[in-house]
Amino acid sequence: MKKPLHPLTLWISAILLAIGVVALDNAWIALAIVGAVALLVFARRDGSPWERSFNLSLRIGAVILGIRTIVGILIGVPIPGTVLFTLPILDLPSWMPGIRIGGAVTLERLSSSLHEGVIIATMIALFGAATSLTSPHKLLRVTPSFIYEIGITLVIATSLFPQLATSARRIRTAQKLRGMENIHIRSMAIPLLEESLSRSLQLAAAMDARGYGISRKRSRYRPQQWLMRDNVIVLLTVATSAVMVVR
Amino acid sequence: MITFSNVSLIYPHSTKTILEDLSFQIQEGEMVLVMGETGSGKSSLLRLINGLVPHHTGGILAGDISVDGISTRTVKPGSLAHLVGIVGQNPINGFVTDIVEEELAFSMEALNFAPDVMRKRVEEVLDLLSLSSLRNRSIATLSGGEQQRVAIGAALVMQPKVLVLDEPTSALDPIAAEEVLSVLHRLVHDLSVTVIIAEHRLERVIQFVDRIIYIEGNGETSIGSADEILKSSELVPPIVKLARALNLSEIGTSVREVRRATDEIRSHQYPLPVVAQKANSPAIEVTDVSHSYGEKVALNKVNTTIHHGEIVAIMGRNGAGKSTLLHSIVGLHTPQKGSISVNGQDPTELTGGARRQAIGYVPQEPSDLLFASSVEEECSHADRDNELEPGSTAALLNRLVPHISHNAHPNDLSEGQRLALVLSIVLAASPDVLVLDEPTRGLDYRAKSLFGLALKEYATQFNRPVLLATHDVELVAELADRVLFLAEGDIVADGTTLEVLLSSPAFAPQVAKIMSPKPWLTVSDVVQALGDVK
Repeated sequence: MKKPLHPLTLWISAILLAIGVVALDNAWIALAIVGAVALLVFARRDGSPWERSFNLSLRIGAVILGIRTIVGILIGVPIPGTVLFTLPILDLPSWMPGIRIGGAVTLERLSSSLHEGVIIATMIALFGAATSLTSPHKLLRVTPSFIYEIGITLVIATSLFPQLATSARRIRTAQKLRGMENIHIRSMAIPLLEESLSRSLQLAAAMDARGYGISRKRSRYRPQQWLMRDNVIVLLTVATSAVMVVR
Repeated sequence: MITFSNVSLIYPHSTKTILEDLSFQIQEGEMVLVMGETGSGKSSLLRLINGLVPHHTGGILAGDISVDGISTRTVKPGSLAHLVGIVGQNPINGFVTDIVEEELAFSMEALNFAPDVMRKRVEEVLDLLSLSSLRNRSIATLSGGEQQRVAIGAALVMQPKVLVLDEPTSALDPIAAEEVLSVLHRLVHDLSVTVIIAEHRLERVIQFVDRIIYIEGNGETSIGSADEILKSSELVPPIVKLARALNLSEIGTSVREVRRATDEIRSHQYPLPVVAQKANSPAIEVTDVSHSYGEKVALNKVNTTIHHGEIVAIMGRNGAGKSTLLHSIVGLHTPQKGSISVNGQDPTELTGGARRQAIGYVPQEPSDLLFASSVEEECSHADRDNELEPGSTAALLNRLVPHISHNAHPNDLSEGQRLALVLSIVLAASPDVLVLDEPTRGLDYRAKSLFGLALKEYATQFNRPVLLATHDVELVAELADRVLFLAEGDIVADGTTLEVLLSSPAFAPQVAKIMSPKPWLTVSDVVQALGDVK
């Protein structure tokens, strides 16, 4: 098995790269970074349920890109340039000067909207990649103990979310098979709520029975070590993002 | 090791006493089975041992419980973690981390053990439960049996003196169940761990246990050796039923004992059982169906035909493709290759009322189909859906389980009652085929036999097919006409129940093991054969 990187390395790199991407503000380089990160995620996947968060973040990014582009075309200050097509202009009251809905759509306007969308989507993809390579549980193991209490609450909440999605899908299909075409919120929500409540209770009971919270101090099983290659990777990303910021 | 003195328990907002004036002692290194009908308080009894009840659930507890001299009254459940390990019904709901090794270390981390001690104990437990090859695996990707072993391991790292397990084999196939039980057996014998286990499928555990605590429905509780309790109890495994039917002087709990006692019966010649020929009229046709999830092949060119009036059981190990086959047949997904027709229709194209009438489906979690706040509301909803006279579904339910309270919330019903409710809702549409996924998880013998009768009646009365996926060999022996055996996505055996169950030692029912090589699967088969000779 490949030895995983230190969870903090990945998160520090993700944050640094995100800063760099925003500072540089170049969509092509942003896309190249997403590509490189996608390769990394693909190469290091280990079959954990968190792995899917990268795909999810790409999808969220795509949706945001779409919305940003549409909004950018419809609303905003006109940018002069090559006119692609013209939309009818909506009349706005006189107290909203400078804002226009509809009107001529120029190539420049379209590309600037796309550009901003790509930057936002890249940031989301970077954090998605960090999550998919180090599950929040792993990150929790390297955080200092004084925030551990908050952390464990987060763990319960985060481990509940994927389960909630699976249960929702299961209940939905079961009810469809009962021939219920129009699913009411109520008929979904009640079984779902009952299940997630009883699951959280079971998890809490299990943690209780296993001695969680009895000792004020906690020890760590096989603490993750900060290795030379973590230094190298962090230094490399610091350098990269420094270049991106300075340019 | 464990002492209950005059223990009574009532939950808040409830008038029913769960346990009344219960006193017993369990010695070190004993293996004790807790049995009783569903909802009789088995889980409560187990959770009293480490104080989860009433510390975690609330309720009024009278009397005193002490484990290794510590009263559960005075300490929190967590303070007993080094003494009592508890494994819940669904281990997956109790896992805190994602990786096997980290899960094993969780308790020790919480109690601030030194890293070198942790390392040593984790290694020991990995070896003891043969989990070494899984140490870095993500828990979500393990099979049911493996997850159960991890849960047991996570309790064992604390080196507890008592291990408490709530239905540890109910979700497992017979082979995985055997694995888990042999681990428990070894713990009792080699390490003198006291094991307390609740289980419905007595046939799986009965040969391992020293004593039984039998919680009867009326608040009475009896404690004694397996032979004593089983002599008079209502819930008995097939092995004891057989001994009773044959009037054997002693009740045995292992196949070997009863085989010795029945040598004489097996020495005679008997006429071969007559297998009724089923009419050849295809209802469900599965042609060359293949399906895979990523790289994992779930079904590999499966071909089979289910006929009218047939009860067909689909068996196989966890992950053999049983659920995928059922899902394809009910039209939950379109198979990637091949085609399925149910009475000439494509199941994926059915919707609404037409679907209800074509295919009745009871999912693995029957409660997925329920959403109303009372039994009555569910029933009247089903009446409206199927344009039946008001009260039809309720009447159907009444025949399945006579004394069900119609104002009860579906969640408050016992497992057996809830399954009966779902079954009557599904049957109200009088579907042309009935498909069930693992229907008897968590059912006691009585609920199971009622359920079996209902299915048999449906199949014979209307001459319609019933298809069920299950791990329950005894149910299959009683109920099914035909068995499809799946392994790694292939049908490896397809034949009458008799042929298939007799040919595989792991999947043979208890009676068949005792009476081998005679072709009998159930107690009634034996009684009938003996009667024929006389």
